[in-house]
Amino acid sequence: MSFHFIKDQDFPAFLSGLIKARTVVGPVAKTSRQQEKFVFARLTDPAALRLDYDVTILPPKKEFFPPKQNLLLFDGPRVTPGIEPEEKVLFGVHPYDMKALDMTDALFREKNEDRNYTAHREAATVVVSSVQKVSPRAFWASIGTEVKPKGHDAWLTKVAGGCVYEAVTAKGEALLQHGKFAAASEEQKKAARRADEEAARQCPEKLQGTSASNAKKVRAAFSREELWTKFAQDCFSCGSCNTVCPTCYCFDVQDWWHVDQNTGGRTRTWDSCLTEDFAKISLGAGAQENFREERAERFRHRFMRKAAYLNEKLGGPACVGCGRCSAACTADIADPTAVINSIPEA
Amino acid sequence: MPTTTCACGGKAAAKDVKDNIFLPKEAKIVRVEKTTEMERIFTLRLADESQMKFEPGQILEVGLMGYGEIPLGLASSPTREKTFDIVVRSVGRVSQALNRLQQGDTLLVRGPWGKGFPLENLRGHDLLIIAGGIGLCPTRSLIQYALDRRKEFKRFILFYGARDPQQQLFLADLADWRKSQDVEYHETVDRGDPTWKGNVGVITSLFSKTKIDPGTRVVICGPPIMFKFVIRELEKLGVARANIYLDLERRMKCGVGKCGHCQINDKYVCTDGPVFAFSEIEHLEEAI
Repeated sequence: MSFHFIKDQDFPAFLSGLIKARTVVGPVAKTSRQQEKFVFARLTDPAALRLDYDVTILPPKKEFFPPKQNLLLFDGPRVTPGIEPEEKVLFGVHPYDMKALDMTDALFREKNEDRNYTAHREAATVVVSSVQKVSPRAFWASIGTEVKPKGHDAWLTKVAGGCVYEAVTAKGEALLQHGKFAAASEEQKKAARRADEEAARQCPEKLQGTSASNAKKVRAAFSREELWTKFAQDCFSCGSCNTVCPTCYCFDVQDWWHVDQNTGGRTRTWDSCLTEDFAKISLGAGAQENFREERAERFRHRFMRKAAYLNEKLGGPACVGCGRCSAACTADIADPTAVINSIPEA
Repeated sequence: MPTTTCACGGKAAAKDVKDNIFLPKEAKIVRVEKTTEMERIFTLRLADESQMKFEPGQILEVGLMGYGEIPLGLASSPTREKTFDIVVRSVGRVSQALNRLQQGDTLLVRGPWGKGFPLENLRGHDLLIIAGGIGLCPTRSLIQYALDRRKEFKRFILFYGARDPQQQLFLADLADWRKSQDVEYHETVDRGDPTWKGNVGVITSLFSKTKIDPGTRVVICGPPIMFKFVIRELEKLGVARANIYLDLERRMKCGVGKCGHCQINDKYVCTDGPVFAFSEIEHLEEAI
């Protein structure tokens, strides 16, 4: 681990060097309905990088677990895996998203390792960037505080006159060659820590309680049907909360053919446990069974997954407080702080 | 001769081919039998002639490229070497495509996945298998196993219920079991027909036909509605919840504990199951 400093005026050249050498993906602005939003996209112009973003529409997991991914391709009877990892630099990931990436790493790695994810993840260098602007629904400072961001290769923090760059791994160290870095002073390192603390103080929403107390009370509320029915009353079962979630990783698998009727593939796409068909099966002769038929059951399942079910495996809740679901929900009923805070203690 | 090989054009690392959890293997159809209007029994052999290694109760993802995959319980015992059986009920795109295949054709299998029946807790005890409808298919892996290793078990009792006589599966097996000294076989149909001479009634009506010791190990597989009623009967008989095993069905899309569709509360049916001790899931409200 080593700390470095790059001056503001040297930063564009560093980025240019990086873009020339590697595929670089980072936050860029995108205007939607006259509003400035942000997305992770491939960088071609260093000036497009917006490290002052508040939150991106979709989390960076899409770089390793894309919304649509070919698992297999076929050509007649010949079947080929779709794994072709690209060595890329994911630049400017916020710390809460880094926590989420580390969780998806663990979940795709456990039991039967899914190389369709891990091969892409291993090929990447991930640079975290401290939050410079806090999004309106963020609550990352108050959830899962016992779980620290890990799995990143470097951590960049904007301070007066430049950025402190902490190289955490050899992959993070290797990026230094593309820019003009000096050793960071104690004062600069301190300033970086202060910047992180200051951003944390600005989170507009707050989750009450600890991870353990929340897991306990959410689990204990499982049978309180009236509670979940009330929470889910306005749910459209659209799955937007799942789609924007950095820790959601459920998927559907579908086969397809090219028009030649000889070649095609097997592709996975993101799926949402809030949608009606998610747990439905056919029994034959037109009969069906839906194991989570009610909106309230599906809504509850998401909260159990985020606040309780995975805690043991992940060391904390499977929610990082990005606030994307709160903002994406049409009915504005998905906000984890609003829901969890309103569940009474067990 | 078609082969499922991975000519990956170089870019995919060897590890990503060898350890690819989504890459299926080819299996040849040795025999296919139409058993009802909806179901076909396939006897398969791996195309590379290797032995399919599995435990009774495990699942396979079975499919065809361009159509997809469906999860099926292995319907034969690993004690029957060289080949293995699956039963396909025509319900959707994949199963209908599979049921068009003929002897000599090839299909794709992935697995086996999941935890099967806990043989170590079944051996040395009375064994009661209760199968409703298509639930006979995965339990047949254990039925055959118990018949092949008959000495490992004390009494072996089998209850089988079908909707009507036309829906009965594995007719040749049923004829054998009716005559067999190795299994106490009881059967019923929900609705009889003029030719049916046997019991008519739901599967729980078979409990009056024989005496079940409370120490019996019980395996249940059938439509979701059946579990509750059967468990109620077993509780009356004093069978411990830890000795009741349920073979559950869910939408096991990936089979490897990732895609999320088969979750029951915090369990993944495809990796934590599909066989669960009742004591393990009784507190899970979404289980039965």
